[in-house]
Amino acid sequence: MEKARVIRPEERIPSVPEKLFLFRSCTGSVEYPGTESAIRETLKLLGIEAVMDPDQTCCSGYLLTCSAHKPEVSLAVTARNLAIAEKKDLDTYTFCNGCFGYISELASILLHNPAYLEMANGIVSKLGYRYEGKTGIYHVQELWYRLKESIAEKVVRPLKGLRVATHNGCHYVARQYGILDDGGYPTFHEKMFEMLGATPVFYKERQLCCGYSVGRGFTHKETMVQPHLYKKFKSAKEAGVELLTTVCPGCNVALDREQPNLNMRYGEEFGIPVIDLAQLIALALGVPIQKLGFGANTTSLDGVLEKLGA
Amino acid sequence: MPRERDVDRTESLYAKVDIYKLVPNLETCLQCGKCAGVCPVANLSPSYNPRQIINDILRGREDRWLKSEEIWRCFWCANCYTLCPMDIPFPLLMMQMRYLAIERGYGLKYFFPFKRFALRAIEDALTFSPAKPEARERIMKLRTAIGLPPWPEVSDKARAEYKALFDMTGATDFLNSITEEQEKPVDLMYLEGRITRGKSEGN
Repeated sequence: MEKARVIRPEERIPSVPEKLFLFRSCTGSVEYPGTESAIRETLKLLGIEAVMDPDQTCCSGYLLTCSAHKPEVSLAVTARNLAIAEKKDLDTYTFCNGCFGYISELASILLHNPAYLEMANGIVSKLGYRYEGKTGIYHVQELWYRLKESIAEKVVRPLKGLRVATHNGCHYVARQYGILDDGGYPTFHEKMFEMLGATPVFYKERQLCCGYSVGRGFTHKETMVQPHLYKKFKSAKEAGVELLTTVCPGCNVALDREQPNLNMRYGEEFGIPVIDLAQLIALALGVPIQKLGFGANTTSLDGVLEKLGA
Repeated sequence: MPRERDVDRTESLYAKVDIYKLVPNLETCLQCGKCAGVCPVANLSPSYNPRQIINDILRGREDRWLKSEEIWRCFWCANCYTLCPMDIPFPLLMMQMRYLAIERGYGLKYFFPFKRFALRAIEDALTFSPAKPEARERIMKLRTAIGLPPWPEVSDKARAEYKALFDMTGATDFLNSITEEQEKPVDLMYLEGRITRGKSEGN
């Protein structure tokens, strides 16, 4: 192995950027806009400037894995989007595990296969772009973990007594190399919860995926996804989880929107709200609740907010 | 990392499956079966078995899986890849198996929802943006209440260039070339619990 599997946050992000390219997530800005808002507010509080670009498009990885795109188009789209970040001389920070996983995979294919890079650059050069591989690809959760001490110092609304559990999301941990924690059993989210004053809860099926990737939420909802998620929520309920966090708006859709269906099908009420880790951090840092967009959630956060007195 | 190997060496037994040469190390499979053990889909639906799929592909028997319902069940969670002692990027193999299935008209009912999404995505340069005015209205209301611009800021330039990339790479033609009348039925190919026997070939 040339590359270490797990690296320290200080190695992953040696110097904290003053400015970064924030890669818009389709789901994070359409289904759960509170995610985008919470990230921008948190970055502001940390003194980091987030640059977004209206010229950026969807990463087009999701439809690639759903077999609706062939790799050619997704490679070209990736080259174009990353070229936009490179023009700004900034590193790319995604806030969706999908964007992170697909862009890093596609960029790695481009950079290790000269023929694909030539093909993609040949196409995007007609529109005036060129991808060179200079921009680093990160997930904002890595930045939160890198800055956990300064985040902890800024907590004004401690999440005392709140039993929070994580759903890590496969497409970050499945990157395997050069990530913050062991993909087999990552625990860095739980450390973040502790620093925010919450009680981390480990539940039996915390490693189960959300089941919505590659479009299974549309094609095999009844046959596969619901029995799969039922196992997950049952174990979360047994462990006394009050709130679940994700780092992927796509996982959020699966875990949040599917809960009423599980209640109906299995006759069991779970009522575990699901939010983004950034929304939890922003909540602890005292960002006004209306900026966190909890109105988009199907499973209400009222109980959690009441408990926190927020 | 195995994927940094010289991809030109993939002229092999499975080149017809690994069309894009993204899985250079498939032949190193130990058949240890860790992938099947950790797979949430195999857990619910035992005839989906990543180890068996690799075994069949390496023996030139991928055909039985192309006609199967099983290959459309994979969640793409990559647990198989995370645990694989040989670092075989199995999800990238599944992606290509499904391309081959589509090419032959199998599993199209699992393709059409995403054909529609993709044709929508071309319009907005966003995936999952709804077409219905009332659904768009709801999103704009939510975003405005938070203090964000009503619609994600995607420029006309982004939309035009996104569409251009689809046209230039043949993605638009590919989407339009797959139509409902080409569809052939798929079925569970491996009997539940008896994963070594193909239903149709009976070998």
